[in-house]
Amino acid sequence: MNMFKELQTLCNLNGISGDEKNVRDYIISQIEGKCEYNVDPLGNIIALCMGEKTPDKKLMISAHMDEVGFIVTYITDKGLIKFAPVGGIDPRVVFGKRVKVGEKGVYGVVGGKVLHHLESDEKQKAVPFDKLYIDIGADTKEQAEEYVSLGDSVCFDNSFITMGDKLKSKAIDDRAGCAVMLDMIRHGVEYDTYFTFVVQEEIGLRGSTAAAYTVDPDYAIVLEATTAADIPASEDDKRVCELDKGAVVSFMDRHTMYDKALYSLAFEIGKEKGIPVQTKTMVAGGNDAGAIHKSRGGVKTCAISVPCRYLHSPSCVISKSDLQSVRALAGELSKRIFQL
Amino acid sequence: MDTFDILCKLAPAFGVSGDEQEAAQAALDILSEYGEGSFDKTTGNAVFRRAGFDDSKKTILLDAHIDEIGFVVTYITDDGFLKVAPVGGIDRRTLLASEVTVFGRQKIKGVITSTPPHLEDDNKKVPEVSDIYIDCGLSGEQAKSIISLGDKVSMVNEPVRLLGSRVSGKALDDRSGVAVLIKTIELLKDKPLGVNVVLLLSSQEETGEMGAKTGAFDISPDMAIAVDVSFAYTQGEDKEECGELSKGAMIGISPSLSRELSDALISCAKDKGIPYQYEIMNGRTGTNADQITISKGGVKTVTVSIPEKYMHTPVEVIDLEDIDNIARLLAEFIGGLK
Repeated sequence: MNMFKELQTLCNLNGISGDEKNVRDYIISQIEGKCEYNVDPLGNIIALCMGEKTPDKKLMISAHMDEVGFIVTYITDKGLIKFAPVGGIDPRVVFGKRVKVGEKGVYGVVGGKVLHHLESDEKQKAVPFDKLYIDIGADTKEQAEEYVSLGDSVCFDNSFITMGDKLKSKAIDDRAGCAVMLDMIRHGVEYDTYFTFVVQEEIGLRGSTAAAYTVDPDYAIVLEATTAADIPASEDDKRVCELDKGAVVSFMDRHTMYDKALYSLAFEIGKEKGIPVQTKTMVAGGNDAGAIHKSRGGVKTCAISVPCRYLHSPSCVISKSDLQSVRALAGELSKRIFQL
Repeated sequence: MDTFDILCKLAPAFGVSGDEQEAAQAALDILSEYGEGSFDKTTGNAVFRRAGFDDSKKTILLDAHIDEIGFVVTYITDDGFLKVAPVGGIDRRTLLASEVTVFGRQKIKGVITSTPPHLEDDNKKVPEVSDIYIDCGLSGEQAKSIISLGDKVSMVNEPVRLLGSRVSGKALDDRSGVAVLIKTIELLKDKPLGVNVVLLLSSQEETGEMGAKTGAFDISPDMAIAVDVSFAYTQGEDKEECGELSKGAMIGISPSLSRELSDALISCAKDKGIPYQYEIMNGRTGTNADQITISKGGVKTVTVSIPEKYMHTPVEVIDLEDIDNIARLLAEFIGGLK
């Protein structure tokens, strides 16, 4: 299957942290028969893909299935739905957006007091989460409760669109990593490789913690989407990484000092194979590498990320060419790692 | 036509003030079987005359504005990002990470840039429109070949159904009003009337009621009803400042409006058992009525408003039953005119 088409399918699935079932079911439907797998108590998929060779070291390649979103915390007497963010979301990308609520996927809108009635100081202030609510068109609590229960998941109503050679969607973080792993599994691997599709990254790297313990790898490659701030509003040194400049391999982020040998190897491979590779110009962000590299007695870990603008918003933007670079680099690194 | 289907044709159409042709055409297409309409490129207005127009009869003008709020492109950076200025009263709280349509040589999609939370120190302040950029995923060269300065940009959100008969989407201000006019004309089909009915789908209301001024001058009506959206109560609002969603026409009463018409509409609603509520204003109305009342030697005018939540956001909410009930009220009222 075409990786971009599959990314679209994956991004359109709703799966906030702790509620990844839709994504998990899809992934299982795609890997069934191609590798051995099991689903652990947290909901991680741990898959072993057999290659032509069985190495003496274990490699784990990991991407997370969950996305940022919201959870329903309260329903008011007037049928409005109060909610809390799941994962790091800027409240300013939430007001005025359309969402889908609960298993029935009813439409809701995040609204508030109308612009025309705001005091001048209110116009300057973002509406904080505790003042936001979702309106599903209900007038009473009873009416809302026919469709929505406390604890229900809420996702941005997605529109996956192509803009030139860029793709725009919610949940590219980290369905992009999932799409690359599915593509690798379909193409087969040279060495036996563990692929873990993990849960709950966005609320503190929880799924990967358990998965890394279970797999007990020697090496790990985390496939991710990472913040690109290559927009006119940010200075050159604050751009972190840029679209169309290739796969992002970082030396350090807020959770991890990456393995130096793997970091160098990634750039060497890039040079040899003509795969564009860039690093991050800021120590920013973090991903499952933060949990995996310190699992058990320590794991040599590398993260390969697709640069992504407006991360954690309903409008993440990536470049197709960068996703191809991530795929190519991950494929090469997963072989060369065994020759270290 | 089903009211929701009408909205699905009208609301997604592009119609940022000054570039109303696509939206106006969508409305004229639906109306074509009921009379004659045309788009005026000079004013941006679309005018529709109900079949059977007769110079010897008096004319009632029904107005709803066809334009919507949006942006205008003011600058294109070398790396392809657009700077914009607001067209109409943009709610800046809704900007970040929103999807937009840029109406360049072709229509292209874009998103409004936002700084990711990992890099943002202050996420409590709402950005100015002058702080944002639009990302169309294009290089500077590509962007400049498709987009010109002065091109308009609209928010994106096709109408969807919420619970009951409620609908959410962009530009329901005032495509809901246009839908009311279309439904009114449908209800009056083949009915002999004592008056001519002319619709003005007016341009540039959001930037200063320009279209209503020129349109009312050209049409020279004897009386007029301006149909627009108005504030429906939602949490955080002051009940005194709002009408209520799903409670019917908000009939305007104001020193600037014709009390005779307000009273006539109210008694018509009472007689026919059509739901209504009052919208009391103390001077100008902030709608096209402000222009129509003082057109030429003066025109008796009243406002009828559709209650709407979250005005000037991409998730405006209206109730289809309000649209249907208001159309019924207007059709009954016009049917009774001699």
